[in-house]
Amino acid sequence: MTSQTSETFRENAKAALADVHLRGALKHATSVFGERRKQAAAGLPNWEDLRTQARAIKDEVLLHLDRYLEEFVTNAESCGAKVHWARDAAAANSIICGLATERQARVVVKSKSMTTEETHLNDALEAAGMQVVETDLGEYIIQLAEETPSHIIAPAIHKTRGQIAELFTNELGMPPTDDIAQMTRTARLTLRDHFAAADVGISGVNFGVAETGTIVIVENEGNIRLTTSLPRMHIAVMGIEKVVPRFADLDIFLKLLPRSGTGQRLTTYQSFITGVKKQQSDEGPEELHIVLLDNGRSRMLAHPVTRQSLACIRCGACLNACPVYQQIGGHAYGSVYPGPIGAVITPQLMGIEKTSQLPYASSLCGACREVCPVKIDIPQLLLHLRSEIAPRKGGVAERLVFKVWARAMMSPTLYKLSSVAGRIVQRVTPISRAWTNGRDLRPIESKSFHDLWNE
Amino acid sequence: MKVSLFVTCLVDQLWTSIGVSSVEVLRGVGCEVEFDKRQTCCAQPAFNTGYREEARQVGRRFISIFEESKAEAIVSPSGSCTAMVHHYPELFADDPAWLERANAVAAKTHELSSFLIRVLKVENVGASWNGRLTWHDACHGLRDLNIKSEPRTLIRNVRGAEFVELEHADACCGFGGTFSVKYPEISVAILDQKIEAIERAGVQAVVSGDASCLMQIGGRLSRKGSKVRAMHLAELLASR
Amino acid sequence: MNNEILNSIRSHLAASAPHDRREQISRRLTQINADQIGVNLRQSAADLFRLSLEAVNGHCVIAQGDTDIARALTQIITDLQKTNLRAQRIAISDNPLVERLMYLTDLEIEALTVAPNDIFSYDVGISTAQAAIAETGTLVLDSADERHRLVSLVPPVHIAIVDASRICETLGEALALLRQGKELSRAVTFVTGPSRTADIELTLTVGVHGPQELYVIVNGST
Repeated sequence: MTSQTSETFRENAKAALADVHLRGALKHATSVFGERRKQAAAGLPNWEDLRTQARAIKDEVLLHLDRYLEEFVTNAESCGAKVHWARDAAAANSIICGLATERQARVVVKSKSMTTEETHLNDALEAAGMQVVETDLGEYIIQLAEETPSHIIAPAIHKTRGQIAELFTNELGMPPTDDIAQMTRTARLTLRDHFAAADVGISGVNFGVAETGTIVIVENEGNIRLTTSLPRMHIAVMGIEKVVPRFADLDIFLKLLPRSGTGQRLTTYQSFITGVKKQQSDEGPEELHIVLLDNGRSRMLAHPVTRQSLACIRCGACLNACPVYQQIGGHAYGSVYPGPIGAVITPQLMGIEKTSQLPYASSLCGACREVCPVKIDIPQLLLHLRSEIAPRKGGVAERLVFKVWARAMMSPTLYKLSSVAGRIVQRVTPISRAWTNGRDLRPIESKSFHDLWNE
Repeated sequence: MKVSLFVTCLVDQLWTSIGVSSVEVLRGVGCEVEFDKRQTCCAQPAFNTGYREEARQVGRRFISIFEESKAEAIVSPSGSCTAMVHHYPELFADDPAWLERANAVAAKTHELSSFLIRVLKVENVGASWNGRLTWHDACHGLRDLNIKSEPRTLIRNVRGAEFVELEHADACCGFGGTFSVKYPEISVAILDQKIEAIERAGVQAVVSGDASCLMQIGGRLSRKGSKVRAMHLAELLASR
Repeated sequence: MNNEILNSIRSHLAASAPHDRREQISRRLTQINADQIGVNLRQSAADLFRLSLEAVNGHCVIAQGDTDIARALTQIITDLQKTNLRAQRIAISDNPLVERLMYLTDLEIEALTVAPNDIFSYDVGISTAQAAIAETGTLVLDSADERHRLVSLVPPVHIAIVDASRICETLGEALALLRQGKELSRAVTFVTGPSRTADIELTLTVGVHGPQELYVIVNGST
């Protein structure tokens, strides 16, 4: 299945709506995640306070991002990490391929990292002749299926157990079964060989602590620990916005992230990695390379409204709360980042040329803002992006409509006339059809309230 | 108390009984209602679609008209339109003169149920309506204006009305302004969740504080041949 | 430090300055207080730890002193030997306590090795934990103090021994403990229960890449 693009969002959404399996899976997943998040948040009486503090910390970091990054880099390097700065996706891939090639790597194991999806790293590594193995179960499934993730937290949420079983039977020779434990065991056994053979392990980073140069990575499966402990080289790809100032700040973020993402108090494992081992004989990689990725993030710093996009801790709560995402799932967005956060960062990272539909694919209900652990005002962002898109990409007809509309609203006479015209026109316009395909349309009243008041 | 009615263009053109009922309710609790005939629209459609220049033009006109009013409050039967007025300070953030005027008008503008409960402290307007009904929380009213308990209090005091809480009452109905016609299939898919919940509630009417939601919900109910009536809070409160 | 990205950051922040209402941004980062969430002060930390761990499919035994711990170890491993998890090849960390405890048991096993190279062929890993967190049932493994990074990860079963006196009440306290008086260790791992996933139809499956069984023996006599 080829991945869909943001340009064809409307068609993607329609296809998704017609997919009965997908809609069932989405309904189940988003309601379970949503319910768990709610319970987990309710379990902390100071939840609102935590959100406020987290947002304050992020605001502070982003406002002085250069300083905090410098501090992070200095501290990480003083413990033996090597830090690389990647301006964009191509630079990141080039750096990483270069490191792996220097290592003469043949097998690369990867744990789930949205930033590496963003840069299409796997394609670059494969083009350089390496075997890349995704080790997160959900990512492994979609890698085998040659698909892209449909959810930030649960990448294979759109697949039924039957579909996954068939995939494992075809690709891994697993005896047919619909037992989920059996499928998981199959994945575990197959992937163990790769872990043992891997020359390089690549991970993402959830938080980078400026004060200590520590990278923090959270997970449930254990594949991140394996990826970052066994191979001799560990490459950690980190968006520049992932910095937090102090080690103690982790208390707040480690409370917010698991509860918001999966409803857990803590995920099974947190790895706090600071540089490399002190002695050769110690366990762990010999080399740690941290690749800092910009790829359009620094541009978002230029306005307080857009800057808040960078506060995102990639929990996925907004996806589960969004009535649009609940209906169409992640693939329809045609982007690595779907859902509400995707609708605002995709146009900013990729430019609005091909992504201009995304900020409009929202009813502005605000459910996302309510669940965001760092209080990103996504509706405000959507409206901000719409105000940049409309004048440039709104289309001649639409721009004209609003100019005429404004004229009509400025003058009571024209306003009155417009309703007269409206009564005639409402039966035939395409806009009217877009409504009436599913809903009855209230006819314009023969007497407006203005008329009634005069009587 | 003297109030100035901000009736909204949607109610004015497509659902006048909401406006008429609002006036009856306000007069019934002792308010003097004035209606400035110059009013047209709050500019929400332009603002939401991204046409801020046009929104500012229309917004400035709204502010100019309503700041002249001697009334103590501007009251509207729409959460989303009231929320739009509350957004005027954002729209005029870079214009100190208009910003001040926007703040002044926004401070005086209230949604109907919020006005009754929070300002007038009236919980019972003497309405009566027989039947089983439920409430849909319109998104802007709920999340921008924190309107949640107020309509429920007012409804519970309607003589003869049996109120049931709707499952996921706070879930969006899928309208979202131009979203409803730019992405109609998604809009209707979201809407159908709401419709299913309404059908499961076994009510005669679904009530809300926004004509836009009611058009969306009512339009689908009637298309499906449902007997459930989509009713505005003002219409319910004006019932005798 | 100067490079393209830092310059880009600086110039975009400068462009934002006119729009910012910086005084509204909470500038001083507050003292983060470790909070006492969910801590029942009448319960001991050990008891709370056990409840929290069991809630995430871990097993917990509270023992009193070495002999009792050895007894618990014997019980655990003997029971495991009756299952398909074998428990015949035991990998232990380099903490001498673990080796001493294993010799106190009377177990029939095929192999007992300290931090083996062929760790993938072992059935059980045994280590201590430097600390624990009661509110979440979490173990704190500090690689500066013990060679247990792989022993606690690769074999399908992990058994950990922790002193009751080292159980913190909250996450915040554990984080503070890691910084107290010494340089932060190069690799610290928090472990909360056995490995798990819900990637297939959101159905919880315990035992993915990390251990599928976690046993914690709390030494209550400390």
